[in-house]
This record gives sequence, structure tokens and C-alpha cells, in this order.
Amino acid sequence: MGITFRLAWRNLWRHPRRTWLTISAMIFSNAVLVFMMSLQLGTYELMIGNTLQFLTGHMQVQAPGFKDDMKMRQVVNDIDALAETLRDQLKLEDITPRSSGFALLSSDSRSYGAQILGVDPEYERRVSIIPSLVKQGRFLDTREAPEIVIGEVLARNLKADLGDEVTLLGSGRDGSFAAAVATVVGIFHSGITDLDRGIAEVPIGFFDDVFYMQGAGHSVVLITPGFWMIEPYKVRVEELIEDDVVVHDWDALQPGLKQAIQADLSGAMIIYTVLVILVAFSVMNTQLMSVLERTHEFGVVMSLGVKPARLGWLVILETTLMGLGGLCLGAAAGGLITLWFSYNGFSFPGMDQMAAQFNLPQRFFPQVTLLSLCLGPTIVFIGSLLSSGYPALRLFWLRPVEAMRTV
Amino acid sequence: MNTAGIVMRLAWRNLWRNYRRTIIMLMAISIGAWAMIFMIAMLRGMVGDMIRDGINALPGVVQVHHPDYRDDPSVENLITMPSGEIESVFKEAQIQYFSPRVRVPAIVTSERASRGVTLVGVDPAKESLIQAVGSNIGEGRNLESVDDSGVVIGHRLANKLETSVGKRIVLMSQDRNNEVVDRGYRVIGLFTAKLPAQEEMFVFSGRTVVQKMLGIGDAVSEVAVSGPDYKLVEPLVQEVRQIFNGSEEVLSWQELDEYLSAMMGIIDGFVFVWIVVIFLALSFGLVNTLVMAIFERVREIGLMLALGMRPASILSQIIVESVFLLLIGLAIGNVLAYVTMLMLPAGIDISDLADGMELMGASDVLHPTINVKDIIIVNTFVLFLGVLASLSPAWKASRYEPVEAITKV
Amino acid sequence: MTAIRCINVCKTYHQGRDEIKALDHVDLAIDEGAFVCVSAPSGGGKTTLLNAIGGLDMPDSGEVWIGDTRIDQLNKGELAELRLRHIGFVFQAYNLIPVLTARENVEFVMEVRGVPSVERQKKSREILQEVGLEDLEGRRPAEMSGGQQQRVAVARAIVTDPSLVLADEPTANLDSKTSEGLMDLFAKLNKDHGTTFVISTHDRRVMAHARRLVKMLDGCIVEDIRQKGT
Ligand SMILES: Nc1ncnc2c1ncn2[C@@H]1O[C@H](COP(=O)(O)OP(=O)(O)O)[C@@H](O)[C@H]1O
Ligand SMILES: [Mg+2]
Repeated sequence: MGITFRLAWRNLWRHPRRTWLTISAMIFSNAVLVFMMSLQLGTYELMIGNTLQFLTGHMQVQAPGFKDDMKMRQVVNDIDALAETLRDQLKLEDITPRSSGFALLSSDSRSYGAQILGVDPEYERRVSIIPSLVKQGRFLDTREAPEIVIGEVLARNLKADLGDEVTLLGSGRDGSFAAAVATVVGIFHSGITDLDRGIAEVPIGFFDDVFYMQGAGHSVVLITPGFWMIEPYKVRVEELIEDDVVVHDWDALQPGLKQAIQADLSGAMIIYTVLVILVAFSVMNTQLMSVLERTHEFGVVMSLGVKPARLGWLVILETTLMGLGGLCLGAAAGGLITLWFSYNGFSFPGMDQMAAQFNLPQRFFPQVTLLSLCLGPTIVFIGSLLSSGYPALRLFWLRPVEAMRTV
Repeated sequence: MNTAGIVMRLAWRNLWRNYRRTIIMLMAISIGAWAMIFMIAMLRGMVGDMIRDGINALPGVVQVHHPDYRDDPSVENLITMPSGEIESVFKEAQIQYFSPRVRVPAIVTSERASRGVTLVGVDPAKESLIQAVGSNIGEGRNLESVDDSGVVIGHRLANKLETSVGKRIVLMSQDRNNEVVDRGYRVIGLFTAKLPAQEEMFVFSGRTVVQKMLGIGDAVSEVAVSGPDYKLVEPLVQEVRQIFNGSEEVLSWQELDEYLSAMMGIIDGFVFVWIVVIFLALSFGLVNTLVMAIFERVREIGLMLALGMRPASILSQIIVESVFLLLIGLAIGNVLAYVTMLMLPAGIDISDLADGMELMGASDVLHPTINVKDIIIVNTFVLFLGVLASLSPAWKASRYEPVEAITKV
Repeated sequence: MTAIRCINVCKTYHQGRDEIKALDHVDLAIDEGAFVCVSAPSGGGKTTLLNAIGGLDMPDSGEVWIGDTRIDQLNKGELAELRLRHIGFVFQAYNLIPVLTARENVEFVMEVRGVPSVERQKKSREILQEVGLEDLEGRRPAEMSGGQQQRVAVARAIVTDPSLVLADEPTANLDSKTSEGLMDLFAKLNKDHGTTFVISTHDRRVMAHARRLVKMLDGCIVEDIRQKGT
């Protein structure tokens, strides 16, 4: 090992400029990969977290088909009891029942359609951040009162203020006409136009009265203690619920989210692959050069009885040394760049609008994680090693006599 | 001095001296060029579809509203219907089409369920919204006239309402006096739309029928105007402004949908960053190849200098070699990209990711779009940057001292 | 009438702390049409002298004249022009551009000078015939023997009708028979074209061909012998 290693090291520095250029290619690609992956992974987490925190939660128990059709009569019976059972059995408090319907909301001067959610004020706070986003007035505080909390845009459109009464017109669980009057007690501002324009929340008991729910609801929303515990909890919930209801986790409830991430990832995969391939070619080129220019030398060594495999390993070892240099320096460079942005934030023109579309903040703060730091550079490293296979294998076809003739 | 011929010949032959190295480099350049063109085509395709669908969903690249309508899209904020006179003005201004429509929030109720929707009163003859959104009337028929009292709704909405063609639904909205008004309509047709959300959002009926229901005379919510090219929208805005010259708000689609117009900018920015990143990744290999090529030929370069060849000719010889390399690589890359496009003629079906693409505002079939402008940009950019990157090694080579170079072992 | 005149030319190299006087106050005048051999043992200063005369290298002090031009004061571009138009070079090895064929190598200087291709072809054919390589015009250097390569180099050196041909140890890599042939060629060209030849060597058999023999040692001219014609 000792002599081979020393040979490899010295060979690398025969052409310092070439070696550095090759390492620079690795450093550049690695830095780009580290930065992009940090940005991407961080963004996905934010996208998911920010989207789920409003209403979706980590999973929901619903009647089969409700997820897609959202029909009023696709109910979960005795929803309070189910929520209570789940809380007991799972030893988890962040579980709330919800009912949902559509109604025409009319103030004195305006009428707009909106989704009406019947919520349990006590538990809703634990599952959704909408209660904490009430900027005027207060959130609901009883299960029965004819009170309503609406989004900011809806309030503006309805020209409704705190204390005003709004009329709800819609159809109940059985399809019959449903109507009621509720007092606006709070106005929330989420920053998500669709929510601020289209969501109104009323106490679940009141909802039950208005829409003839008879103790039924539409979904039980759960938040697990951590994002990585969703799967085990889902399994538990599946054991606990009856056959007439199903549990959906967040990616079933928000299929767009996961797929947007997948679409973005597959685009990014092309970028990453191309970068890795380009580096691999760079390395292959360098190693081929270094093998070709040593043809004579290799011929001499082989005629002395050194096996081609040994020389092949020498080439691989040289690549490994170069690759490790690129790996460490590239990861360091990428890490530092990412770190800088993680303090100062990262944005680009047009990001406001894009951020709004995906529930993201106006500036990204990419986070350096072990995964984003190591994944890209490791792949580049492996790609480089593989690409030096061709020059290394060429040695097996080398004939000492011919090799020594070349200058 | 006329050295162009010999410089080219030397550059070309030198290129193939170490053909393995050249081929590796060519592969790298062509993959880089392919990746640039292909990715840009995909992006352009996605954003192009996005904008087309987005504009179709508006639609009308220019829209006229009451100044308060966008903030408060209610029956209160209407504009007076362009009269026959204005109609002729439109004709005179050679505006391809304009369509006045009533567009109000409403609640639709069937026997089984209620939904919040947007009720659109249209003149089917002029309307492009219904054509764009409901380009496929899957079942039943389309509206026939401005006073057709049937409604056309989306398949998904029909499904959620558990209604079907021939059945009645009730639409509730608000009239000018803030009274809730409702009216029964018969479903005459179901449409399918590219974006599922549109299938749930729009309910179309004859314009005068909706106007009568809302008691708004012949006032409308908006007038949509479209031109031949959505990219050339500014002159159209000016013309429409002149026609309306009143208090109405005339906006282009860029102003109406900030996300869409932001995406255009983001994509252009991304295209640029992408080209630069790929090029930089390539450039190390390119410079390396040239450095090596020069290193191997120090003696020859010295000889040529000793024989009286000018340093400038040595410089151009290296640059030309690099240009040959780049041109061949680019040509292969372009052809590869073109072939890739040919292999995906009908677009790439990514309907597995349909909901995600919808979240982005894009449809589930990608139509990669090769833009001549992008091709030119990619190729000139790579060529230009490539020559720039070759300058330093080439300059060094031309500065050799002939005596030292020629005696170098 | 004087083709080359060196006046008090000095050139010193530094190697670490050592000073090497490669040319030590060299005075030399060579007539037009002369056939001169510069001989010295290895390291004696032959290459340095020829490079100074050919404008490839600058002496530290002294004057170098080619005809009426004082070349040690010319800039690089002017020197390149001078080499291109008036001087032909034959080096010890690596004389030819590997990617060009024999004929293309011969035409190289003419092509750089912008000679039209018809004329180039005519001349290069003639010269290749003169050096006896008309059958090998399409071969690349790697496909020729050392002697053949040197002949191509000679052909290239004289094809533009330079007033002066400088050959630095042209026979060093050749066997004695080939060397003889090459020297005969030089002598013949000298006679037929009237071109001035300065040839450096440390081979006695080569020296025998020269009408004038300049012997150097450690950068100094130690002997200047005019021999009777061969
Ligand atoms: N570039 C150089 N650097 C240092 N010393 C040199 C250099 N070129 C030549 N010399 C020295 O100058 C002396 C003369 O060299 P040279 O003219 O090449 O001799 P020759 O051609 O007769 O063998 C030698 O001692 C040599 O070592
Ligand atoms: Mg010498």
C-alpha cells in the first residue's frame, strides 16, 4: 500500500494544473449540488409544514369517498365519541372533529359562497393554526353559540365587521334546505388567499343544528408528535376505527403537494444527473490522459513483471485521491455558501408570487443538513470512480513491447 | 498574411490527434448542450401550457372591469354593457374578439348538495371562456344563445351535486338590492376541463338570463378582449383603454395573474442560470483538454514560432481548435435534443403528477417546446463562453519563447 | 557581401549560482554563399550562436547583423518576419509538424507567407524532387525515417529561397551513411542556389565537408580554418 499510495500521490502532482482543474470541476458541481439540495429539501419541508398546519393536519378519519366528493352525507357517525376514543387510545390530545359544508353567506349588502367548517373550539386550536391567526375579535369559544369566524377577504367582500350578523344558506345532510344566522366574532388572516376568501368556521354543535348532522361529522383531524411518526400512528388508527370509515394521511389529502414535490424533484434529478455526468467525463478525460502519457512507463513496469491489475488499482487510487479532494472541498464550499444564505436568506425576482402559490415565505433560508451536505458529493465521488474504470481497464490490453515503443 | 487556411488545417488535424480525448470531450459537450436545450424545452413547454391554460381560464388577455370589481367581485360593481356603437368601435379597431360577461359568486344546490361556484352569464357566440374551459362538452349540448336558459356545468361538479343532464339545479346569488335571488336551471350539458378545479368552479348560462335573474339590466361584470398574440398585449391594452376611456379598469393578463407573469420571469432567469451552471461544469473539462493539448505540443509550437509563424496565428490555431470542438459538440447536442423531442411527439404524460402540476398551474401533459430563440441563445452562449475559456491557455501558448519551447523535453 | 556579422557578442546563462558564458566575446563574419561549419564539443555554444544569428534568441551584448539589418535590436514581430523571409532552419530533431504531410511541411513557411497554392505546389514538388523524396510527399513524419525527416526539413528550409540556412546539428540523430548523404545535399544546394549555409556539428566527418571550419570551446572561437573545397 505504502509505495502504491506514494506513487499515486506523486503522479497526481505531475500536472498540478490538470489535477486542480479536475478537482475544481468536482468542487463546482458539489457546491452547486449541496446548495440546491439544501434549498430544495428545506423548501419541501416548509411547503409541507406550511400547508398542513392550516387545516389538513397529518391525517384524517373520514367516510370513504369524502376526500374526493366531499358530499354532505358522507359522514362519520358519532364523531365526538370517535375523537374521544382516539384521544384515549392514542394518548394524544391533538385530535379534533370537524364538519364541513358549503353555504351562501349573506351580510346586509353582499352574498358569497364559502366553505363552512364546524369545529370544536377547544381541540381545533391544537390542530390548526387558524384560531391563532384571528387578528380581529376572537376565536370561537363554545360548541353551541351561533357565532362565526371568517377569513379576511371574505369579511371584506361581505362588508361584514365584528358583531355583524350573517345569514347562512345551504343544504343539510339530508339535502334539505338549511338556514341560520350567526354573529361574526372573529376575522382571521392567513395570507393564503384561498383560505382568507373561502373559509368560515362555526362551532360544531351549531353546525350540527343548522345542517341536521345528528351527531355526525365529516372528519377527525390528527396531528402526531412528529412528522416521522405519521406512519405508525396511521397504523394504530386503522386498528381503532370501524370499517365504515377510513384514515387518509396528508399526502392522500393533499395529493398536489407531494406530486408538486415529485415533479420538482424529477426536474432537479435531471439537473443533478447532468452535473454528475459532466464531472465524470472530466475525470475520465484526465485519467485517460494520464494513462496515455504514461504508456511507455507502464510498458517498462509491466515488462518487469508488474501485473496490469496493480496498475489499474494505481489509476483508481489516483482518482480516489482526487475525488476525496473534490468531495471535501466541494462539500465545504457548498456548505459555506448555504450557511451564508441560511443567515441572510435567499430570494430571486418573482419569488413573491411563486412563494404565495406554494405557501412559502418570501425569503428562503436553506438549511445545511447532513443529508444535503453529503448526498450530492458522494454521488459525484462514485461517478468519478466509475468513470476512471475505462482508463484503468485499458491497461489490461496494454502490451509491454508496443507500449515501450511509444514515446 | 493569409494564414487562415493553414491555421484551420492544423487546428482540425490536431483535434483528431488524440481522438479518444476529443470524443470524451465531445460527449461531454453534447450532453451538456442536450441537457440545456431539453430542459429549456421542457420548462418552456410547461410554462407555455401554464400560461395558455391560465389565460384560457381568465380568459381574455385584456379585461375590463369596474375599478372595485377585482377586490369585491359582486353584483354591485358592474360596467355598462358595451352598446352597439362600441361594438362597431371594436370591429373598427380590428380586435379579434371581445366578450361581455356577467360573472358573480353563487351557490348551486341540487337535491343532494350545495356548492360555491362562479356563475358566468355568457354570449355563447362570442364567448371563449366556455370554449376554452369547456372545450369538450362531454355530454349534452352547449349553450346556444345569449338567452339560453339552460346551464352547462363541469363533470366533477355534476358528480359532487349528484346531478346530470336534464336535471334541475338551483342557483342562488344576490341581486342589486342585496336580496338573495334564486332561480332554477336545467342542466343541458357537462364539460370537461384541463384543470379539475375549473370543472368545479364554473357554471355557464345565457347572459341575458343571468342578467334578468340578478336584475341588473344589461350591465356586465367584465368585458374580456383577446388579441392574436398573448405576448403582445400592451398595444391592445392601449386600444381598449381608448374605447372605454371612462372609469373602467383595463388590465392585461400579466396584471391580472401575477403568478403567471412572475413564472415567465422566473423561467427566463432559470434558463440563464441553467446555461451558466452547465457551461461552468463543462468548462473545466474544456480548459483541461486544451491545456493538455498545448502541453503535448510545446515543441511544435516552438518550431512554428521559430519558423516565423506569428504568435497571433498560434493563438488563433488553439482557439479554432476549441471552436471546432465546441461546434461539433453543439451540433451533436442539438441533434440529440431534436431527436429526443421527436420521440415524444404527443407530449409527456405525467398525469401521475396531475394534482401537483395543477398546484403549479400546469397541466398533466408536458409539451416540450423548442424555441428558435432558445436554441440560438444556448449555442451562441456556449460558443462564446467556450472561446472565452480557451483564451487563457491559447494566449499562454502563443507567448512561448521559441528556443525554450523547442528544446523542451 | 557579408551575409552575417557578429561583433563582440556575449551571452551568459545563470544556473543557480554558476555563471555560464555560452558566448564569450564572439566576433565572426561570414560571406554570402559561404558553407561554414561551426564545431564544438557538446555545451560549447553552437546552439546559442546559431540561435543568436537566427534571431531566435537575444545576445546580452554585442551586435548581430544579417546583411544590412542589425537584428539584435528588432522586436519579436520583426524577428518573426525576418526568419520567415530570409532564414531557413534545420534543427537536430522534431523538425516537422506531426499532423502535416511531408509536402505540407515543406509548404508550411510559404503558406504562412501567403504564397498562392499553385506556386506552393510547384515549388514544393521541385524541392522534394531535389532532396529525393518525391515519392513520400503524402507521408506524415511518423511514417518516415530520421534521415527522410531531416531531408524534408532541409527542403522546407530552402524552399523559400532564403539567403541563409542555419542547421543545428542536423546529423546528430542519423547514422553515418545518412549523415554523409545529408551533407552532400547541403553542399549541392549551396552550390546550386548560392545560399549561405551555417551548420553546427561535433561530428568530424561532417566537418570535412565544410570550406570553412569555425571551432569553438566554452563560448569562444578558438580556431577559424579555411579548408580547400571538397
Ligand atoms: N537555457 C539555458 N539555461 C542555462 N544554461 C544554458 C541554457 N542554454 C544553454 N546553456 C548553457 O550554455 C552553454 C552553451 O550551450 P549550447 O549553446 O546549447 O551548447 P551546444 O549547442 O554547443 O551543445 C552550455 O554550457 C549550456 O549548459
Ligand atoms: Mg546544441
